[in-house]
Order: sequence, then C-alpha cells, then structure tokens
Amino acid sequence: MTAQLESSPVTSVDVELQHQIEQFLYLEARFLDERRFEEWLDLFSDDVHYWMPTRTVRYERELDKEFSASNEVAHFDENKRALEERVTRIRSGMAWAEEPPSRTRHMVHNVIIELGDSPSELLVRSNILLYRGRLDRDVDFFVGFREDVLRQSEDADYGWLIARRSIFLDQTLILAKNMSIFL
Amino acid sequence: MVVDIRGLVDAKQGTVDPRIYHDEEIYQQELKNVFARCWLFLAHDSQIPNPGDYVTTYMGEDPVLVVRKRDGSVGVFMNQCRHRGMRLCRADAGSAKSFSCSYHGWTYDLSGNLVGVPSEDDAYRNEINKAEWGAVKVPQVDNYRGFIFGTWDPSAPPLLDYIGDFRFYFDAFADRTEAGTELIGGAHRWVFPANWKFAAEQFCSDMYHAPISHASAVLALTPDDQDVDEEVFPMDGTKGRQFSSELGHGTGFFVESGDVLANIVGQKPADWFQGGNPEAIGRLGDARAERMRGAHATLFPNFSFLPGINTLRIWHPKGPNEMEVWAWTLVDKNAPADVREAQRIGTGRTFSVAGLFEQDDGENWSEIQRVLRGHIARRSSFNVQMGLGHEWDDDPDFPGKVNRVYCEMAARGFYKRWADMASGMSWDELMASVRKAVEVSG
Repeated sequence: MTAQLESSPVTSVDVELQHQIEQFLYLEARFLDERRFEEWLDLFSDDVHYWMPTRTVRYERELDKEFSASNEVAHFDENKRALEERVTRIRSGMAWAEEPPSRTRHMVHNVIIELGDSPSELLVRSNILLYRGRLDRDVDFFVGFREDVLRQSEDADYGWLIARRSIFLDQTLILAKNMSIFL
Repeated sequence: MVVDIRGLVDAKQGTVDPRIYHDEEIYQQELKNVFARCWLFLAHDSQIPNPGDYVTTYMGEDPVLVVRKRDGSVGVFMNQCRHRGMRLCRADAGSAKSFSCSYHGWTYDLSGNLVGVPSEDDAYRNEINKAEWGAVKVPQVDNYRGFIFGTWDPSAPPLLDYIGDFRFYFDAFADRTEAGTELIGGAHRWVFPANWKFAAEQFCSDMYHAPISHASAVLALTPDDQDVDEEVFPMDGTKGRQFSSELGHGTGFFVESGDVLANIVGQKPADWFQGGNPEAIGRLGDARAERMRGAHATLFPNFSFLPGINTLRIWHPKGPNEMEVWAWTLVDKNAPADVREAQRIGTGRTFSVAGLFEQDDGENWSEIQRVLRGHIARRSSFNVQMGLGHEWDDDPDFPGKVNRVYCEMAARGFYKRWADMASGMSWDELMASVRKAVEVSG
C-alpha cells in the first residue's frame, strides 16, 4: 500500500498516489474512446459490481428516494460476465446501436481519493462527462459522478483493478435513444 | 383542411401512408380523438400503496396526477392549477397531504378539489366558488387486477369491454395469481426521437424484426452449445401464433420453441413463468401458463408489455416526431425471492435504455423518422401485408383471430383501429364494428 496519510485540511492523499490513480482513470477512458473494450474489461476485477441506478425527480423532503435502491431497477447492474456479454454484443457486427460505431470522449474530473475498507482498497470519486456523436447528427451528453473501489493487485497489468463502480447520472429521463456506451 | 385519416390506412390491402407518423395536423387529431378517448394505462397499484401516495404521468400530452385517496380509491386529475394553468406537482412521485401550486398557492386535496385560496377574504372578497374550480378530473378510472386505467371520455365503454377479446391474453400477464402482481421499484425512462406508433405497433405485431434487429443480443446471450436460429428463435412461423383484436390490441408468441425466455431474461424467471408457479397453471391453463413463449403485446393504443420478460411500458407521445418510454418491471407478488431478483436484473439488462435488446430498437425508429423528413419518403406507402388473408379463428388453444407468429395481421388491426378512432368515429360505430366482426367469425 503506497497511500500516505498526512495532515491537511483538504486531502490526506499524497501527490504520487493522486497522480497514479488519475492516470489509471485516464487510461481507462482512453481504452473506451479507442474502443479497446477487451483491454478495458481487464481493468475490472472478476468480482466487480458495475451499477447505475435510475433516478426520479423528487421534492427536497424525499430526496433520499431520488435514486433507485439496490433491490430496485437499474440502468446497469452488471457482474463481470454481463460486461463481457455487452462487449461480445458490440463486437458482433450486428449491434446496430453501435454499428456504425459511436464516437465517444470520456472526460474524468474532480478525482477525490479516500482510503477504502481494506488496506489494499481505495474509494475514488470522480466526475464524468461523456460526449457521444453518432452517425452524422446524433449528439448525447452523459454527465454524473462515479464512486469506484480500486483494489491494488500485483497481477493487474496496471497495478489496480476496479472492484466496484457506481455511476450516478444527472438526468432522470435519459435524453438519449439508448445507452450503448460505458461510463 | 382536415386530412381524411381513414384513407391513410388500408387494412384490406395492407398499406399505411407514412404521413400518419409525421404530420402535425394528424397528430393533433390523434391527441383529440385517440388519446382523449381511449382507456390509457396510468399506474400500477403497487406504485401508490398508501393514502397520499402519488405519481405524475401523462394521458396523451396532458399531465395528470394519480393519487391514492384516504378511502383507498384512486383519484386522477389534471396536474394543472385552474388559476393560471401552472403544473401543480413537479415531482415524478411522492407522498402528499395536499397539492399546493407554486405560483400563487391555490391548494387542492387528494381528490383534486380546490380547498385553499390565499387571501380568499381580502383579495377575492370571499366571492370565489371553490367547488367550481377544482382540478379537471378524469371522469372514468378503473382498476383491472392492479392495473389502473383512465379515460377522458365519459361515454367510453367500460374498461372490460374496451379490453374485450384481448383479456384472454392480458390475463397471462396480469391475472396469474390471486395475490396478483407488483412493480419492482424504479423505472426506466428515456426519449426516442420517433413517432410513438412505431413502438406500439412493433410490440403489438412484430416478431419478424427480432432475429435481425436483435441479432447481436441473441448472439451474446445464447449459450455456446445452442443453435441460435432453430433452438432459440425458430424461423418457422407455424411454431408460434399472432393474435389480433378488432379493438386494436395484439400479441404474438412462440408455442413450440427452445427456452427462448431463459436466454433473454434468465433461467429462474423463465422457469417460474413457464409452469413454475402452480397457481398460474390452475388459473390460466396449460396453453397460457406454459406455452406462450417470448411474447410481445400491446393494449391499444400505447400500453405494451412482454409476458415473461415482464417489462411493461407506456409510449408517451411528445409531438409527431418524439416519444418518451416509461418502462417498469413486473413480478408475481408470490414469486420466490431468487426469482424476483433474477427478474429484476434480467429484465433491466435486456429491455431498458441500456438493454441489450432495446438499444437497437431506438436506432431503427429514429432513422425511419429522420428519413420521413423527405417529401418523396412521405409519399411512398409502407407495406403491411405479411400474412394477409391467412388468419384462422378456430385454433384449439388460442381464441380469436390468429395467424402465424411472423405476421402483420395485428399491425393491420392496430392501424385500422387507430384510423377509425383518429378520424372521429363514434363509440357506437366503433363498438358495433367489433360486434359485427365477432358475429362474422362465429
């Protein structure tokens, strides 16, 4: 474990770790934008839970019910196998929502690192902005924040594995005809 | 100029004029004569279990509040203040004691009655008659097996007459147990830049698109030891049935196939749906409880569902060129916890905005809509002739007018009903044509 706790009113994570984790997330974004989906899959642990709840418009007093709960419906509620099936689908040449392919640009911001539940895990929060262009005129923006659990692993090509990802979008009604993308 | 809408659909020849998907004037006729007259699905009982619980939805483009009242009944009224027309409630769902307008503060009770007007004495001199200024109420609301429907038309026939001969097939989804069904919490909602009828018709009548449009999903979800074409999606249309109602409803399903449902939604929900729930077999019989596989269905006009996959959805019209999909996942109340959990995941993974199957539907419908911007495109009629003249009505297992599963009979029924309604045909005529068809078919 390389994390160093130092006293600071803002962050207790050292610069080197911050740099390392940000570069890891940029690499992931690059794999997606370059449609290197198999390499992208390798960044996830075999026990990964990849989850994006649905969201509804609620008044302030009921904001605790804004996101669907873990036992309710979700946009994504995936294990590793389900993520692999999505990639198989895209690679089939017959996934018409991705054939011709979308053009994506994943932008990762505001990366905040906290120590996780175990010494080898970090809780990493980031903002995500995904631009998608499709065909000649389709434009979609997906904006939200992510909470990842990153697990340090000697076997992993890039030192870390994403063991959990929760994605919280800032749209309730999804203003796109599909989400054939990954966030 | 009023368009002759009935002339745009020729059910006998099997043609549809594409203007029905694009023309603004036709759309306005549709809002008036279809959406303001038909029974529309509003909500499921399980969404509003307690007094004060509400959801907001739409009937056509009119926003409504669906509220559980203190006596347990359901009130449905315009989500609009009568003072200046402001939207009363701007949340998707919640619980309330009353609804207070955020513009000037007029307040309505759970039935939509106006109960409070700020400065009633000083500003209005106590001269306003609050009883006259309640929210506009939906005059007919009914509940069939937990599914709440409403119609703006006080002269519309009763809900069960409106469902008519489709009830046999709807019950395979809605009436499986005495305890009934419930929705899993949360909803998938998204936008398709396409006319709502493309979606409603596809769920009504189109098994034909599945092996092509959804080829990638079928491939991804089929186990390596299975033959995709023959075991999962039989291409032999005699291995399934399509049903069409004169009322515009329709459904289609396989009766001899591999376990198509298991491949889509998972083994546990498939086994439960196809014979695993003994009470359902007792209520529905073998044909409906075990042999309707991979079914699609639309209850006219815009309420669609997939029995077994157990997604249900409303296609809300948003102008001629756009719709919103509001989709939920249904489970039997008495389903075991592991079935429920597998259904929750399996349905969401296949039929939703990110669903392996549904992603590709959006591509089809939006591209059709875009092509229809062209003058020549709008002038060239669509072919809806599949299976024309080959229906039968003496099937031993499946009553009513049926045909092979790869067929457009139900689409012709859907569009004929739509054209009759949109052109303003009276309920007397609309229901007389149904009675006549039933008599002719014996």
